[in-house]
Amino acid sequence: METVQSLILGFSVALQPSMLWYAFLGCLVGTLVGMLPGIGPLAGISILLPITYGLDATKAIIMLAGIYYGSQYGGSTTSILLRIPGEAASVMTCIDGNAMAKKGRAGAALSIAAVGSFIAGTFGVVMLTVVAPPLAAFALGFGPPEYTALLVLGLIFLAYMSTTSLVRTLLMAAFGLLLGTIGIDVMTGHFRYSFDIAELGDGIGIVPVAVGLFGLGEILATPSHQVPSQVIHPKLRELWPNRAEWRDSAAPIARGSVLGFLIGIIPGSAHIISSFMSYALERKVSRHPEEFGKGAVAGVAGPESANNAASTGAFVPMLALGIPTGPVTAVLMAALLIHGVPPGPTLVNDHPQVFWGFVASMYVGNLMLLALNLPLVGVFVNLLRIPYAYLYPLIIMFCVIGVYEVNNSIVDVWIMLIMGVVGYGLKKFSFDPAPLVLGLVIAPIFEMSLRQALIMSDGTWMIFLQRPVALVLILVSLALLALSAIGYFARRKDWRAKLAEAETNEA
Amino acid sequence: MVFAISGDLPFGSLSAPGAGMMPKVVTGFMILFGALVMMGAARSAPLASLDWSDRNHAALVVLITGAGVAVYRPLGFLITMSLLVFLLLVVVERRNALIAAAYGIGLTLFAYWLFGKALRSPLEQGILWF
Repeated sequence: METVQSLILGFSVALQPSMLWYAFLGCLVGTLVGMLPGIGPLAGISILLPITYGLDATKAIIMLAGIYYGSQYGGSTTSILLRIPGEAASVMTCIDGNAMAKKGRAGAALSIAAVGSFIAGTFGVVMLTVVAPPLAAFALGFGPPEYTALLVLGLIFLAYMSTTSLVRTLLMAAFGLLLGTIGIDVMTGHFRYSFDIAELGDGIGIVPVAVGLFGLGEILATPSHQVPSQVIHPKLRELWPNRAEWRDSAAPIARGSVLGFLIGIIPGSAHIISSFMSYALERKVSRHPEEFGKGAVAGVAGPESANNAASTGAFVPMLALGIPTGPVTAVLMAALLIHGVPPGPTLVNDHPQVFWGFVASMYVGNLMLLALNLPLVGVFVNLLRIPYAYLYPLIIMFCVIGVYEVNNSIVDVWIMLIMGVVGYGLKKFSFDPAPLVLGLVIAPIFEMSLRQALIMSDGTWMIFLQRPVALVLILVSLALLALSAIGYFARRKDWRAKLAEAETNEA
Repeated sequence: MVFAISGDLPFGSLSAPGAGMMPKVVTGFMILFGALVMMGAARSAPLASLDWSDRNHAALVVLITGAGVAVYRPLGFLITMSLLVFLLLVVVERRNALIAAAYGIGLTLFAYWLFGKALRSPLEQGILWF
């Protein structure tokens, strides 16, 4: 009953005209960001973060989150019509979505993707409404040892779920943690690795690193001649799927919604992993697995539903525990912090308008996205006709403006440029940059929790084994490491290796 | 290298960790993970098989963007961004100079209106007075 009342409060906030405007703006920008190759939700959110400085926290988070879940809708359009993923989570949709388009069913594929995204997104928000408040209440009892153990588990889970390798992911996360130590040590006041550069005293910002790695890095690795400009243009009257297509998509949408939400809660690039796992699941349970790759409806409905549910699920640990599950939620967390609203267990009680307004706005946002992505698909398709050679200078310009405007700092722009080169190199050597950003974001929380826990225990590590919650979290971390070690030494292909192989083949 | 430049940062003790503890521990882990990656190198594709065909594109984009960043404050938003887009189109993409100039100026004016006027973000004026 309390949840219903809180949700009513949320709708009273989210349905205000100004909130509806910012939700719409976020969804529109998200759709565009998802559609355009070379710019994903992370770069999109980072670039537009400075624009939110003049807004209050609720409007800011509603708009930025709209970009995130809106990009999951937009990504499917490029995948289906161009066979290139607008953003990473849409890789699997390329296969069957584009095959459907080539058979003249582009409209049906777009409809199924949009409806699946809507159902999964709404399911994710319902689950978020139910799960987040009790989880936040439970987490109120967490102290530094529990937070340290939780962050360790988060990093190991991220590495375990990674499609590259556990060691490579941990290496990237450690690099991020190291970058996160740059600046003034808040406990002792020491300057660390700032080399007399005043701007580095506050540390390296998330925005220049994220925009560099994911925005500029992607552009450097994508010469314009590699981006196809042949776009299939669906007609409005062909948008409605036939009865058989609806029937074939119902169960995959349901399965994708549940699977996506569950994966979304787990640290990692959940929206990407969930679409891979959903595709694998659908092929496994299908009576006609041979149709996959040739235009199977389930190959569009499942992954598209899963990535939307996962992007909503990722908000659970962010809002309830104050822990980011990936780089996108990390930047969203930074946005809340900039506005003086710390995400975490106290958010529900201390800022109910922000929390419930945000949750309610997602119900509205999913409806807006359905309306945007079906009737207006023809308008968006015209954007894909802009040659990439003319598009990426615009993206670079927005990267520079976005990063500079955060602190009016040219040092930040140089950091972005360096990170762009680093991102290009990492891509060449098959290192995933997402753990680096996650490490950078959690570094201050992790260091503070670890040092506080050690001070509390007078220097003994046993404190992590003496407290039940911390002990359980440490045991789960060890179990995951053991599972990975077994897989490594057995030298057999587990599900992650198969996913990595599929990703390589399809990318 | 991190160990070398961390000389003045105290490690402290376990009961009172210092400012140098976290960076040194994390660097230790990086060395460990790096060694493990190198040990598994035999399983990876050989370095020679990496596709570097995009290196010229990447190098030119970095050079032009770097030059743009260097002159951003002295020249200001309007001049720097117009030049940045123009050079990217002409030097990297080999497009017609006139079209590139028109596109660069048009795009910059649009961004100036969007960020500077509509969203009221302070943009660098540089040598211009607006």
